[in-house]
Amino acid sequence: MSASDARTAPSRASPVWRIVFWRELRDQWFGGKALAMILIYTILLGIYSYLFASNSELQLLPLKQMVLEIVKAAVFVGLFICLIVGADSVSGERERATLEGLLLTPTSRRQIVVGKFLSAVSPWPVALAVAIPYWVVLSKGDVALGHALVWGSIMGTLLAPAFAGIGMLVSVWCNTNKTSMLVSIGVYLLLILPSQYSGLATVTTSTQATDFSNLFQLVNPMGAANRLLHDSIQLNAPFGQLWLWATTPLLFPVIVIAVLCLFVGPGLQLEGGVRRLRTTSV
Amino acid sequence: MSDHEKAVLVAEGLQKAYGPRAALRGLSFTLRAGRLLGFLGPNGAGKTTSIRILTTIMEPDSGHFTVDGISHKHPDQIRRRIGVLPESFGLPKQMTGIEYLTYFGQLYGRSKSDAKSVGMELLEEVGLHKRARSLVSTYSHGMRQRIGIARALVNDPVVVFLDEPTIGLDPRGQQELLGLVQQVAEERAAGVILCSHLLSEVESVCDDVVILSSGEIVASGTVSDVIGKTEQNVMRIRVPAESLEEAQRELEAIPAVRKVSAASGMPGWIRVELDDAASEDHQINNRVLETLLRAEIPILSFEPEGGRLQDVFLQLTSGGIK
Repeated sequence: MSASDARTAPSRASPVWRIVFWRELRDQWFGGKALAMILIYTILLGIYSYLFASNSELQLLPLKQMVLEIVKAAVFVGLFICLIVGADSVSGERERATLEGLLLTPTSRRQIVVGKFLSAVSPWPVALAVAIPYWVVLSKGDVALGHALVWGSIMGTLLAPAFAGIGMLVSVWCNTNKTSMLVSIGVYLLLILPSQYSGLATVTTSTQATDFSNLFQLVNPMGAANRLLHDSIQLNAPFGQLWLWATTPLLFPVIVIAVLCLFVGPGLQLEGGVRRLRTTSV
Repeated sequence: MSDHEKAVLVAEGLQKAYGPRAALRGLSFTLRAGRLLGFLGPNGAGKTTSIRILTTIMEPDSGHFTVDGISHKHPDQIRRRIGVLPESFGLPKQMTGIEYLTYFGQLYGRSKSDAKSVGMELLEEVGLHKRARSLVSTYSHGMRQRIGIARALVNDPVVVFLDEPTIGLDPRGQQELLGLVQQVAEERAAGVILCSHLLSEVESVCDDVVILSSGEIVASGTVSDVIGKTEQNVMRIRVPAESLEEAQRELEAIPAVRKVSAASGMPGWIRVELDDAASEDHQINNRVLETLLRAEIPILSFEPEGGRLQDVFLQLTSGGIK
């Protein structure tokens, strides 16, 4: 390819999203950002599991509930890591003054966003791989392990892209990383706190749960995931009773990814916010 | 028309406002291939806004521009034809010099191997080939600017925008980098826009100049034409400090001299304003100097005011930010 060929459309070149994805992945894992978070995650999970296994009061918990708690911890902290990586992906580049160079290339903004998004999801498979041994050890061969493996993996795999996407959406709008992180953490707390409260209510008084609290749990993806994990791992509920709780965790990532890739991504710009779309610029 | 006369960038009536404040009020100029254009203006004059519009990072409110004949309504095609070194640009910590250029080469549609070989050529061109496999985070400031220029050239652009490329460099670094910029314009036949606050460097390397003030062009043309637009009936003379008063007395006695004063911001220099009629007298400079020589006052230096780009700049941009 001659020098001036770079001005014309590529032929043998890799898709831009893949180029951006590999670069981001390398930055995250070799740069230590994702690696450091996974390390902290592993230590936290280890402490949590150790307490369940050795603390005399916690040992009184039924085995299934113990497994449920460690699965929830693994999934929800894994989602938090994806959220934080997503929240850094655009505003972080703005702060490090590396975004302008990227936007000056003739690449589609959407492809840049897709590459960054896939990379932001990458901590989840690693977090899951780290968590599984803890689930196996704590379950002591109980039938709950099977449910934990299946539903824990499914819920995490569905919600990780959603949380990475939310982090990115916030990041696209924010000029500084600090704002992006704070807003993202705020959104996370807004979703997880009600789900934990409802979860506790469900555990203690599930039979008296009102329609309203069920609806409240259902519309909150974290609440629905929490309920599904509870019903499957602790109550050993069949799939027929679980599918309703799987709908929100299934729809949530679809909506977030659609908003990110179809509406926000193409309008990515140097300053925080989204550019008014013009078909030729995407 | 030869390649070197071809207009590679044509801007017509570009306007941009941030709320009620107009940042650009009808920017129009032309850049030809192989020429270096100095883009000057005080802080807040609209330089960054202009560059961001011309590099498709921002859209103009009105007006039009083309790059290599391509309308600004096709920003993705324009980006294929321009190279940019922004004023402040970051480098990824985990990449070596060659990996960085390969990455950008790929983003411009090259295959990995092609991007790598172009990257190596560019590193050689900017004098970084020996540090190709070092992490860019270990580069000095001068090396960072060089790799920034290499990145701007990765797509063999027809127009190159360099925003303050010599800022923070030592005098030798500045000189070397400017040599590189000249080489880019000459050997690649690219039009180069050089934004800088160092007027002496613009004067020494640029062919053309555009001076902005409050979002408007206050002067444009070749460097010599623009310099020639300012008043020529003022001169500055440098004499030893102990002879300053005597020199002022002698000069005030010359009939064609209107006013003699200390040159502001230039210790040891005397500013001599001449009558309007004196501009027609080609011997007036000689006569002024002769007066000092006859009084045995040593002349350390002499220059006509308006003979430097700095004078033009200060004169034309004295209105400040509107």
